Amino acid sequence: MQAKSLLEKYGIRSIESTYVKSEKELINFIEKVGSNVVIKAISEKALHKSKAGLVMLNISEENAASSFNSLIKKAKPYAPFKVLAQKMAEPGVEMVIGGREDDQFGKLILLGLGGIFVEAFKDFSLRVCPIERYDAEKMISELRSRDVITYNGKAEKMVVELLMKVSKMLQENEIKELDLNPIIIRQNSYDAVDLRVIE
Amino acid sequence: MMNPKSVAVIGASRDPDKVGHIILQNYVDAGFLGKLYPINNSIKPGENIIGLKAYRSVLEVKKPIDLAVIAVPAPVVPTVLEECGKAKVKSAVVISGGFAEVGEVELQNRIVEIAKKYNIAMLGPNCLGIMDPESRIDTLFLPTYKLSRPHVGGVSFVSQSGAVGSTILDLIAKEGFGLAKFISYGNAAYVDEVDLLEYLLHDKKTKVIVMYIEGIKRGKEFIEIVKKVSKVKPIIVIKGGITEEGMQAAHSHTAALAGNNEAYEAVFKQFGLVRAKDLDDLLYFAKIFSSEELPKGNRVAIITNGGGTGVLTTDAVYVNGLKLAEFSDETKKELRKVMPSIVNIRNPLDLAGDADEKRYSDALSLVSKDPNVDMLIVIVLFQTPGADSTVASKLIYFKKNIDKPMIAITVGSDYTQTHKIMMESSGLPVYDSPMAAASALAELYKYWKYKNKIV
Repeated sequence: MQAKSLLEKYGIRSIESTYVKSEKELINFIEKVGSNVVIKAISEKALHKSKAGLVMLNISEENAASSFNSLIKKAKPYAPFKVLAQKMAEPGVEMVIGGREDDQFGKLILLGLGGIFVEAFKDFSLRVCPIERYDAEKMISELRSRDVITYNGKAEKMVVELLMKVSKMLQENEIKELDLNPIIIRQNSYDAVDLRVIE
Repeated sequence: MMNPKSVAVIGASRDPDKVGHIILQNYVDAGFLGKLYPINNSIKPGENIIGLKAYRSVLEVKKPIDLAVIAVPAPVVPTVLEECGKAKVKSAVVISGGFAEVGEVELQNRIVEIAKKYNIAMLGPNCLGIMDPESRIDTLFLPTYKLSRPHVGGVSFVSQSGAVGSTILDLIAKEGFGLAKFISYGNAAYVDEVDLLEYLLHDKKTKVIVMYIEGIKRGKEFIEIVKKVSKVKPIIVIKGGITEEGMQAAHSHTAALAGNNEAYEAVFKQFGLVRAKDLDDLLYFAKIFSSEELPKGNRVAIITNGGGTGVLTTDAVYVNGLKLAEFSDETKKELRKVMPSIVNIRNPLDLAGDADEKRYSDALSLVSKDPNVDMLIVIVLFQTPGADSTVASKLIYFKKNIDKPMIAITVGSDYTQTHKIMMESSGLPVYDSPMAAASALAELYKYWKYKNKIV
């Protein structure tokens, strides 16, 4: 959960989540957040969690035990792994914000259409850190999917702010690769649902 | 290096097929006005090469030498360069190949050490060197009868590759716009693109920079310098070598998407470089940037004497992210007064197949003043009865007298080409196709947006 606290340090909220070791811990978490949750098996060996069937949605107190056990079974081939329980995010547009260290130019920051569309559409824009507000606005306007993302001015402003924060975070930390994928963008709010940091 | 008063050609030869001979001959052909010293270690005392007194070594010259052009076999270069150092030669262009490009890294490092030791600004090795039509410097080993030299102009061209460099140079000579400096820097062992951009930033003759690069050595310094340059002078860049290197090890989606080529693309976009995808683009863009005022918006007026070409140009305008201007009521009213009834008063303005110099002139004087118009494309199909040299002259007149970007499209063979050359050499960029014309205008508009921080 180090990555999560790193994000928080830069004012980037990620969705409420915790690692759970047992059904009991999972049920406690569901009670605490007061809504259904998602469970994911996290393994170094699986970049595509949903493709590998390692993500289960809509987990309630009733189906928690059976779901937990079935996820463990599916994740066996990817051992060692941990189980992450996460509050269900409200629907929105799935985007990716990422970064990587380039040998030549230094830290790069990426914005793109996220989730399962990342590789299908390869709709993204890229800049060198640090970025200015103008660069962040340009990154949005360059996307083919810009109209889907910025259906109102508020969401656009929010994405600009997010990009500036991520750029600062990339600049100030030893990060080789970063994926916030997906980060769910809604009219007035967002949720960083999944993150991956390689230091 | 760029404006030497005295040049030593080391490896100068009497054999007309030798590189050292051609370089010397080219200096003479170019009318170089400074001192010229042929150097050849097998020459006998008192001998001449093409009528110039020859020396066995730079050490024998005993006069100041600003530039040494070195064209001797690679293994001899360290010795020759060492002598240059002792003779206090200020700069050197190492034409010779046979260094890092063939794995001789150590030999290359040795000459860099020597250059540093004696503080010699060294270009190359493995390059064509420099050409400046104004100060008449020409280190190219390509005979003037094979490769045409451009006339004096505002475009400076920096090329990592000698092959791409020389062919583009040949094409520039054919185009109407001229050249400020040509610099082929080869292996960039000492002087590299960052140094060259720094130099061209301050060079008053350079208005536009064109670059061919394969790889950049100092990425962060490159960013710093292009940031400075692109605020003042446009940089048009073509990048060779799109590698997949580094993508294999990607652990994240970001690294998988954003490879080496994407990183270059990002840098070009972020810092206002104009990226040419092909050699054609390079010329189309260089042409427009070297002659144009920047537009203040993306609204295009099209004036044509052919309906269909106007339609194709309209399509090209929109495909390239520009749009057609809506003429003001005032312009429409005035146009109606002077145009024959067969002319529809709308944009694109089709002057009809019998349009002559008078009709073009009337249209241009009204449309160019319209506040709704940011740029003008004038199509002249010279195959029609009214289109002749008087129309071309009129276009040149307007080009010189309006402060908005204006370009022309002509399509055709001999008669058309004659007029194309006439217009181009007078500073009006002419294009053979609507798509080329519109994409060039679009790059001009994008650059204006970058300079003014408009998203």
